[in-house]
Amino acid sequence: MINRRSVLAACIATALSLGLAACGSRPSEKAAEQPSDKPLVIGISLPLTGDFSQPGTEARRGYEVWADQINKAGGLLGRPVQLKIVDDASSQDTVVTDYTKLITQDKVDLVLGTFSSLLNYAASAVAEKNNYVFVEPAGGAPNMFTRGFKYLFFAQQATAPHQADVFVNWIKSLPADQQPKTAAYPTQDDPFTKPVIESMQKQLEALGVQTVYSSVYPPDTTNFQSIASQMAAKKPDLIAQGAVFEDGVGLVRSLKQLQYSPKMLFQTSAPSNAGQYSSGVGEASTEGIFYTVSWHPDAKTPRNTDFVSGYKAMFQNADPAEDAADAYAAAEVLQEAVTKVGSIDQPKIRDWLHANSVQTILGPLSWEATGEPKGEFLLGQWQSGKAQIVAPAAAATSDTVVNPKPGWK
Amino acid sequence: MAQFVQAVTLGVLIGGIYALMASGLTLIFGVLRIINIAQGAFLILVATFTWWMWRAIGIDPILAAFITTPLMGALGWVLYRFVVVRIRGQAPSMSVLLTFGIALVIEGFLNVVTGNRFKSATPSYFEESFRVGDILLPKAQVYGFLAAVAVLGVLYLVLTRTWTGRAIRATSQNPSAAALVGIGATSTAALAFALGSASAGVGGSILSVLYPFFPASHYDWISRLLGIVVLGGMGSLPGALVGALVLGLAETLTATYGGLQWSTLVFYLVIMAVLLVRPQGLFGARLREDAA
Amino acid sequence: MRFLSRPHLIAGVVFLALALYPLINPWQPYPQAVLLMMFLLAIQASSWNIISGYAGYVSLGHSMFLGLGSYTAAIIALHTGLNPLWVAPIGGVTAVVVAVLAGSVVLRTRGHAFVIITIALLLSAQILAINLSGLTNGSDGITLELPFWNADFQNIPFYYAFLFLLALTVLFSGWIARTKFGTGLIAIREDEGKAAAIGVNTTIFKILAYACSSFFIGVAGGVYAYYQTFLNPVGAFAILGSVLIVLSALVGGRGTLYGPVLGAFIISLVNEGATVYGGNTQTRVLILGLILVAVVLFLPAGLLPTFQGWWRKRHPVSTEYTDQAGALAHTITVRERVPSPSGAGPLLEVRGVTKRFGGLTAVDGADLTVERGSITALIGPNGSGKTTLFNLITGNMQADAGTIAFAGKPIEKLPPWSRGHLGLGRTFQVTRLFKDMTVLQNVVAPLPDGKLRTMFADAVSGAEASRARDLLDVVGLGAFAAQKAGALSYGQQKLVELAQVLMLEPQLILLDEPAGGVNPSLVGRITSVIRELNRAGVTFLVVEHNIPLVLELCDPIYVFARGTCIASGPPSRIRSDQVVLDAYLGDDWRPGATAVERSLDAHA
Repeated sequence: MINRRSVLAACIATALSLGLAACGSRPSEKAAEQPSDKPLVIGISLPLTGDFSQPGTEARRGYEVWADQINKAGGLLGRPVQLKIVDDASSQDTVVTDYTKLITQDKVDLVLGTFSSLLNYAASAVAEKNNYVFVEPAGGAPNMFTRGFKYLFFAQQATAPHQADVFVNWIKSLPADQQPKTAAYPTQDDPFTKPVIESMQKQLEALGVQTVYSSVYPPDTTNFQSIASQMAAKKPDLIAQGAVFEDGVGLVRSLKQLQYSPKMLFQTSAPSNAGQYSSGVGEASTEGIFYTVSWHPDAKTPRNTDFVSGYKAMFQNADPAEDAADAYAAAEVLQEAVTKVGSIDQPKIRDWLHANSVQTILGPLSWEATGEPKGEFLLGQWQSGKAQIVAPAAAATSDTVVNPKPGWK
Repeated sequence: MAQFVQAVTLGVLIGGIYALMASGLTLIFGVLRIINIAQGAFLILVATFTWWMWRAIGIDPILAAFITTPLMGALGWVLYRFVVVRIRGQAPSMSVLLTFGIALVIEGFLNVVTGNRFKSATPSYFEESFRVGDILLPKAQVYGFLAAVAVLGVLYLVLTRTWTGRAIRATSQNPSAAALVGIGATSTAALAFALGSASAGVGGSILSVLYPFFPASHYDWISRLLGIVVLGGMGSLPGALVGALVLGLAETLTATYGGLQWSTLVFYLVIMAVLLVRPQGLFGARLREDAA
Repeated sequence: MRFLSRPHLIAGVVFLALALYPLINPWQPYPQAVLLMMFLLAIQASSWNIISGYAGYVSLGHSMFLGLGSYTAAIIALHTGLNPLWVAPIGGVTAVVVAVLAGSVVLRTRGHAFVIITIALLLSAQILAINLSGLTNGSDGITLELPFWNADFQNIPFYYAFLFLLALTVLFSGWIARTKFGTGLIAIREDEGKAAAIGVNTTIFKILAYACSSFFIGVAGGVYAYYQTFLNPVGAFAILGSVLIVLSALVGGRGTLYGPVLGAFIISLVNEGATVYGGNTQTRVLILGLILVAVVLFLPAGLLPTFQGWWRKRHPVSTEYTDQAGALAHTITVRERVPSPSGAGPLLEVRGVTKRFGGLTAVDGADLTVERGSITALIGPNGSGKTTLFNLITGNMQADAGTIAFAGKPIEKLPPWSRGHLGLGRTFQVTRLFKDMTVLQNVVAPLPDGKLRTMFADAVSGAEASRARDLLDVVGLGAFAAQKAGALSYGQQKLVELAQVLMLEPQLILLDEPAGGVNPSLVGRITSVIRELNRAGVTFLVVEHNIPLVLELCDPIYVFARGTCIASGPPSRIRSDQVVLDAYLGDDWRPGATAVERSLDAHA
């Protein structure tokens, strides 16, 4: 029975060693903050692999550009900044474990948010439980801000239902004869596009724009001819599509095949994926297509040129994506609050952010008590093969607006 | 009425292309009793390669099938000879898991090599249409459909008119009897796997033109193809054709007349209903099971 | 027998260590989080094992039940304000209800089609969760409140909830494996047709197994939703979650009790290790794929069975071979369990039964009567339809026309297991034992009735098992009880199959070539068992080509040719019947009864 006894011993030993290896303090007892020149560690979990790996990788780059720049400028609170970035493989389970580890085991000084609402829902709950300020670069789904969280801040200008406000306002500013009379609203069943289109439809109907078509299609839809041909039959002035990416390209291609070009075409986020979008629909055909976006490389916001040049220098002259800029902005928000508070005291940082406005490369950001931002998105439009900002005027990179949209080329 | 005809025409065009993609799956199942979950990944692999050739060298995506088809055939042959053959005679679930693993390997490989980005090949004709009366026939779909019909025809001829085809069919019906009359089971199986994989050559080329794709898109495709094959009867080529047409029509008709968000569910319900009545699928054969 | 075997002991110690761990070290939410996700995966893999490991119906959409449980608890919490934790068991109920409803449809398919249908079920559940937005908030998902307890204890309640559920799941699974229900499931995996023939109601068994495999996952789902505080259709019904379940069970060893748990532990730890140490590589999917391929190719049985095989090789257990003489000397003791013949009229009456296979009419309006207490023989050339008639009588096939009455009751519409429950047992022409089960399990497996009490009777110890041991002794194979049935000789397998049929407590046993392929000394053994049983009141219907044996053993004898009965009567009459000789030998037969016997002998 030596075997049995040794097994028993081994198991008990395992349990003990697991236990003793890390006997520590309660999670709520934070180590007393002592001034030191040890690096200030910021913990981040990002979807570097899996479904969201594309935005996740861009966000990582945005954070890295920020850390590089702040360290060159002497660090945060006089301490060098060190990013501790882990991969959550786009999994909700892993992102929870990751932030639990970063906060309770690695005891990082600060955390920054991850990408996509789906992951931020779960991740922000971990931060909230542990009283960590959670500035998220993405996650504008409306439910995010109905949970009564106090440490949550969304570092973009507006949540999904308000994303299209800027487009509606632009339509309002047009002379009556140039406003669309009829509109079609296809949207993917996605928590970030559907609220945009639904709220736009409501606002435009209030303006007297007649809805001639509206439909919600599932994310795995690949054939858009049927949707396109139905819309073409109704001849709407405006087509506003809630498009994630491939569906945006797919619908434009189907409209081209059917030779129907509306006077105005709006798509939520698809056209902001610059290179992929123009090669998908054909560069000449992008002319005049509207979209909303949080950031533009030529925007005259503070530090924007530093960000763009820093990014190009770090990543082989590549063009930064919007997701990278959003991450950079989230880091800027945290940086500003920490600097102003003068410590990494989480409740103080939270209170400061609720009371103040922060200048970022996206423009000024400020928040409701729920963490919902108070601002307005940017209205983008493709002009001569280049994505431009046409509204609001303060952020515009182009003075002209292409209206109506020319036919397909 | 014109709307209905338009929807049906599009449904048939799409269905033909689905049928081509499903044909490899059903062929491999028919002979090897293996569900090749990697078939979707094969399509994406070919689509990516086609896209690259189109971008880098300027080869027309649909004509590129003449290059990708033999390559995929060779890949299928190698995969069978060195990997799949090892699980012959094991429980069906093992083959599902093995090919699922192969699909993940391909997805991971494409992730590493090309990145997790959307791609699509856009030759100039993809945005043009033929017009017949009020009905618009998108050229890309029509060419894709014609290519699909051609490949299905060739596949049919190969299976019924050549010795190889007869060997494949004989093996699919009774492997031990086929072995007795001198048909090498392994080489026939390898041939069938190669043939099934090769069909992804044309399918993938068409996919690259018609649909934007990225490495993980293979999940969407394989679930669609599996539905088609189960509905039609696993292992049956005519079954795959019918299943594909049903799916194509279901998609376009629900998009035209109902809520598109329900179309996938409706398709699954049809499958369940069919299985309730005919557990072997529409065209599946049910043989005597008692004969030893 | 030892009170606790080694695996149970190890499992107990591991459980104890895990239960103590948070007490020793309460302030570490991170390792607790890793371990609780590990328990969750183990709960799923262990539950999956019931339908897919025991019964062999591989479900590739099993994470559906986690999603269903999550949504049930979350929806109730959302609309009533109750804490999701308290309503988590209702999630289990939802899972069971869906399993029973869906199972009665999808379990009609077998093998590959079933695998695919389970994926379709998972995706359908996802589509429903997206589209029933009034109930589920659609693609936005449902957010839940943060746990009500102090954040210092944040993961400890979840840790214990999952650990408790895991213990229950394993105990449940272990209990199932010990019952006749569990044995029946393994029988279904090994040979579904044969399982039906020994009284296993395969429809009910499969649906029940599917339901059993869903309950604890559903309950865990409710807890999981509260742990996540958020759920949405894409995350709740993800195919990759299902793949991890299958991978876990496969790595550990499916069909075993602890294998899936072991596999789940390994997979979760490897997964977490990849996150912590693998870091920021794009190769994660590639590596997962390579692992899956490698496991399937090189470790198809799983770690636990592979290890056990290795252990057995290192520590061989000697088996005593029971010699035939010793077995023959054993007194037959089945009499008291066999129902005494009662009632009037013939036991089995077949009237005008017809079966066609396409253009071929295998059985063509056959009539046959088996009197109570007789040993009736059915002979005829190959292809005359004898075995098909057997299949029609036992229900393995449905007749196209005609009636079959057993003890006066029409049975032609009944499924095979109900006929078994009435007292109709059979053996097969080529033995169909469950080769991966032990000899004892083979004999325990049959169900003499459809009662739940019988179904959940203990199959390892207790009355059923001791009866099975008795029956094994009757056929002289008691010493082989623990051997795999596939390891026995063909003749021994025939005897085991006979013992198996006796477990059904049959009134009528159909023997399909009991002496075929068996060495002469065993033939004697078999006939003496048949005689003894017959004296005890069991009626026999025998198909046999060994004509001397038939003539010696049976009365009356029916002769079949071209799917119908051409002659019947006592052996003396059949021996010299002109029609019979024609049927067997064609026109060029030589006169003389002995010559016929010789020819028929050679034919056998």
